[in-house]
Amino acid sequence: MEKMRVKQFFNKLIKEEHPPFEKAAKEDDLLKKKQIDSSLAKNMEIFKEIYYVPNNCDVNIRDIEIGGTKKMAAVLSISSISNIKIIEELIIRPLLSNDNESKVIEKLLSQQVRKAQVIEDILKEINNGNTALFVDGEPNAYIINTSNFQGRSVEKAENEVVVKGPKESFNEQAITNISLIRKKIRDENLIVESTTISKRAKNELYLLYIKDIANEELLTTIRNKINSLDVDSIQNLSVLEQYIEDNIYSLFPTILYTERPDRAGEFLEDGFIVLIMDNSPDALILPATFWSFFHNAEDHYLRFLFGNFIRILRLLALFITLFISAIYIAITNYHVEMIPPDLLLAISSTREIVPFPPLVEILMLEIAFELIREGGLRVPKPIGPTIGIVGALILGQAAVQANLVSPLVVIIVALGGLSSFAIGDTNLNYTIRLMRFPFLISAGVFGLYGLTALFTIGLFYMTSIKSFGVPYLAPMTPNDSTAKDTIFRRLLKNELYRPGYLKPKDIEKKAGE
Amino acid sequence: MKNQLCLRQFLFLISMLLMLSGCWDQTNIDKRAYVVAIGIDKGEDNKINISYLITNPELSKQEGASSEPAYEIITFPTNDLISAKNTANSVIAKEITYNMLGVIIVSEELAKEPEFIRYMYDVTKDREIKRNKTMIITKEDVKTFLTENKPKLETRVHKYFEFIIENAKNAGLIPDFKLHSYFSITESDAGLFLSPYATTEQVPGGKYTVGEDELLAGELNIEGDSNTQFLGSAVFKEGKMIGTLNGEETRLTILLNETLEMGEIYTTYSDPFNQQYRISTRMMKRDKNEVKMDFTGYIPVIDVTVPVYTDILSTHSMETFDNGKIEQLKLHIEDEINKKLNNLIKRTQEEFKGEPFGWALIARKKFWTRHDFEKFDWMNTYPNMKVNVKVMVTIGTFGEQSKLPDLSEVRD
Repeated sequence: MEKMRVKQFFNKLIKEEHPPFEKAAKEDDLLKKKQIDSSLAKNMEIFKEIYYVPNNCDVNIRDIEIGGTKKMAAVLSISSISNIKIIEELIIRPLLSNDNESKVIEKLLSQQVRKAQVIEDILKEINNGNTALFVDGEPNAYIINTSNFQGRSVEKAENEVVVKGPKESFNEQAITNISLIRKKIRDENLIVESTTISKRAKNELYLLYIKDIANEELLTTIRNKINSLDVDSIQNLSVLEQYIEDNIYSLFPTILYTERPDRAGEFLEDGFIVLIMDNSPDALILPATFWSFFHNAEDHYLRFLFGNFIRILRLLALFITLFISAIYIAITNYHVEMIPPDLLLAISSTREIVPFPPLVEILMLEIAFELIREGGLRVPKPIGPTIGIVGALILGQAAVQANLVSPLVVIIVALGGLSSFAIGDTNLNYTIRLMRFPFLISAGVFGLYGLTALFTIGLFYMTSIKSFGVPYLAPMTPNDSTAKDTIFRRLLKNELYRPGYLKPKDIEKKAGE
Repeated sequence: MKNQLCLRQFLFLISMLLMLSGCWDQTNIDKRAYVVAIGIDKGEDNKINISYLITNPELSKQEGASSEPAYEIITFPTNDLISAKNTANSVIAKEITYNMLGVIIVSEELAKEPEFIRYMYDVTKDREIKRNKTMIITKEDVKTFLTENKPKLETRVHKYFEFIIENAKNAGLIPDFKLHSYFSITESDAGLFLSPYATTEQVPGGKYTVGEDELLAGELNIEGDSNTQFLGSAVFKEGKMIGTLNGEETRLTILLNETLEMGEIYTTYSDPFNQQYRISTRMMKRDKNEVKMDFTGYIPVIDVTVPVYTDILSTHSMETFDNGKIEQLKLHIEDEINKKLNNLIKRTQEEFKGEPFGWALIARKKFWTRHDFEKFDWMNTYPNMKVNVKVMVTIGTFGEQSKLPDLSEVRD
């Protein structure tokens, strides 16, 4: 009873504070669904009102008289996102200099021309940087491609660095990104579907897949998920990732995020699905398994043995990051007999003058390391070099000299911290770094037993996760004999099949056999 | 909803786990005193005197040289090994732990007591004492042994024990039996247990022997700063010490005992061609002993064939060996080892009335049931057995020999 009353009270309170939101777009929406008029003046009035001209300073309207036909016309474009030179030379000049009365507009312009009638469609084109040409007496607008968004050029990959292999990375323009992928897969079966995923900002999402490989069911699931989004704006893929992932609260990422077109291409050819968007210097690859995060583009570029060598290193780094401080805690607190006598004495003697118990000591240093890392990441570039020196100096040397921590702990935390850099994927990197802390605590409370118990629970959990219907640890468990690219890679000539857990339409990688 | 219920139950169980188990027996690594060696002496009445050799971790510190000693020795009377831990804390500030325990040292006096085995079983009761540690028997009191033992080069005392046992064992001068064997051999009641024998008391002037290893700890005449000797072994029968074996006998025991590993042993034999000189050899065992037992007759017979591989390292007679002489040398060495082995076996049969050669293990397989074997009564039957030992020496290489000068030419 009481509960209900309290609830009602709060509901009332909320209602009073927030009057119903104004649906500002409602009336406009109705207008935008209409077709345009044949009168130029009327059309211009509508568009001037929509674009709030002349207050909106980068919207350009040029009124011209078409030569020959003597018809009045207007050219509407947004100057900041369209190519002024093209508009001038390929649209306005031919129209002005025309002297043939019978020529239709399409024939006058050398550019490709589309027709549009609905106001909404025309607005969409203009917002995408294209130019609309309105001619008096015609109930449609001519749309000419003139879009020219400003952005970076193709640059080197910064986060997923390789020594051997292609260096270019995605940039913020979806068209460039698609072009980079098409450059790698010259296949008519590579399909680029586009959908609008947000209501107000009208963000465009490109769905890439290879038609005769990708699984239809998987595609439908993803399409449904994307189409069911109901948001005003999704700026980029990093945001979209959080809208469409299966396990929002999970520590483990289930969508792979890469900035390398070669990686995206590789996954496409295996039957994965790639999402690309404007404003995102990366691509989303789904579904993703644990192994896709663990792997690196270079694994396959390096020769067989070298590639596997860096895989071993990465695995080692992963376990060192996860366990080294936890093992130190467990062993020094509960399993002293495991340490060789000389090390035992060394630890004991250096710990003698440290005021805190080992768990506090390690936690302090781990947190300090994370702070330095975060600080170092956000620091403006000109100040950058100092933070490294200060961090290393203060934490390493001074903390030991001040007897705050023992030198061995500095080694352990530094080793764990540095190892974490070997895990290239941003998402997995955070996962591992965060998981260190539960492991630390469990080792501090239960020793090695707690460590193994938590690890086992973690494994149980990992086998339960699914990414778009694909088990997280596939193909290791459930065992799948098709693609065995898990911890170690195989010889390229032995990689005969696409991953079976994706149920691709064509499982064999060798064509024509 | 159902999921949430599950989750709640799971969290409840986890929190119970925290209460049921946890860090109750946790002690920080720096809050313990590490006992490296435990010494046990005979005390008054039924008590024992226990000595702790506690190492000082301070030495490991890099910065600020410490003036503290490397270790500390305390001795006090107590009833057993386990309660002694607490008693010691009236003197030692930190919690006593046996985690780093390397050796258990027992004085000969206590080891010869029939009551000794009662104290030894304390070792099995404390979980911190590992049974792969060595038990050392000292001629004098352990208290004296520990205070007199001052290794000059190994400041870390645990290292001293670790290294000297390791290397003396490799040289075959002390047996490689661990605490575990003490219990298993005593419980099987069929063989003798050997334990390293050590002392810091030197027999004045030492003892002269023809060979280099017919000595017991204390009899080797060594001058210098180190006065501790690990040499020979103490013989235990039914958990009680009954005698000693000298270095040579210990080596021969290792040769006969298949459960002990024999390393490369450097030893000398008399030169068959020139009796005043000796030949240095390196002995190895490449194949297993062949032990045949026949219990059908009135007197049980054991036939043992011992294959020995010998490298000749140096000959002071400066003799050049041709094939004939090698054959002669081989027979000579075989003969010499045979004699020594027969003496040893005779001694075990007559003096100890038991065998430390691990033959009981082999013999056990010859019986259908364990009961049969127990009825056979190995320990009491052994002294009457006929043991035939045959040594098969293989002369290996002579190594790389520089050309020796013809002595008659040098001395013309």
